Amino acid sequence: MAENSQQTADREVMSSIINRYPPERRFILAIMQDLQKQFNYLPKEALQMTAEHVNTPMTVIFSMATFYKAFSLVPKGRVVLKTCDGTACHIKGSTIIIDEVYKILGIRPGETTPDGQFSLETVNCLGACAIAPVLLANDRVYPKVTPALLREIIEENRGQ
Amino acid sequence: MKVTIDGKNIEAKLGETILEAAKRVGVEIPTLCYSEAFGGQGVCRMCMVEVKEGERKRLVASCTYPITREIEVQTNTPELQEIRRNIITLLYRRAPNSDYMKKLYQEYEGISVEPVDPAEKCIMCRLCVKACEKVGAYAISAIMRGTEKRIATPFDEASPNCIGCSACADICPTGAIIVKKENGKQEIWHKTFEMSRCENCGKYFSTLPVNEHVKEQLDIEMSGENLCPNCRRKKLASDIAEVSVNR
Repeated sequence: MAENSQQTADREVMSSIINRYPPERRFILAIMQDLQKQFNYLPKEALQMTAEHVNTPMTVIFSMATFYKAFSLVPKGRVVLKTCDGTACHIKGSTIIIDEVYKILGIRPGETTPDGQFSLETVNCLGACAIAPVLLANDRVYPKVTPALLREIIEENRGQ
Repeated sequence: MKVTIDGKNIEAKLGETILEAAKRVGVEIPTLCYSEAFGGQGVCRMCMVEVKEGERKRLVASCTYPITREIEVQTNTPELQEIRRNIITLLYRRAPNSDYMKKLYQEYEGISVEPVDPAEKCIMCRLCVKACEKVGAYAISAIMRGTEKRIATPFDEASPNCIGCSACADICPTGAIIVKKENGKQEIWHKTFEMSRCENCGKYFSTLPVNEHVKEQLDIEMSGENLCPNCRRKKLASDIAEVSVNR
């Protein structure tokens, strides 16, 4: 498989993140957090490099990576939609919004559209219950979302 | 160290687990995730017992609780029976396809439940993970979390570490790990292995990587012959017989 410059650059970033930490098992979580922050997910290659660096079996790394919700093993979309599903938003119909996203984009929470444009996640409270139900598209907050508004929000973000 | 287990006075060693001490004096405590080879894991909680120290009573997992003081142990109170019944019920609900769990579910008169996945056999005792670690392969582990937790290889792909020894499948109490054997090949955990034949009887008995692994682990020159355990035993016996005849 021919390697493009992007892959080479990614690998350099991965190894610089990993090498910031001493080769000890107790730093696995910290390394993975930094990787997640950098790439928005944990690339397989990065996990393999981590395993090698801390001299720990891949099984241990993979168990940890799949245990914590903060980590993702699949790349996230360009726009990450976060629908609040906390108590207030739930009562105000966030499940309808989640269903509506599925109708429009065909993705459920935790999934990404095949074109890599959108990902959907649910979060448990954004601290803005007065404007429930709340939707976050990357860092932009959309209040009192309705199915009709949701279509507009998605169209707006698609065009970016 | 004087300990009472179900009214029996016994002398326990310091640091010995309640389960070990009980076994020694013939008191049966039911377990699911325990193997003598690995010691207690404290995963399944079937071996819960009641420990009484003075006036204080509490429930502990006997497979991991070391005896460090003089205690009184009860292994089969109504409360413990209820706990075991619940554990069996929940595990049966998870793994209804396993004959082992079916039997226990009837034996413990489990509560009526709707199975989650009728095809599931695994009870997440993790004996397979321990076995894999002991072998030194580190090919499988428990992944995900909560109700989605399951045993798998990293990324659900063939693991470069797996040597196809099937120690995981051999120790599995519920037969949840699938090993396909055909035409001198063995398939396990998404990986297919060439089998090695016994020089004497011609039976396929282990995978090629296992042979290599054993050689590495033993760090001694193996005899040139590639024999299955049965033929090896026979050969050893006849060797010994020969030596004693010659004496």
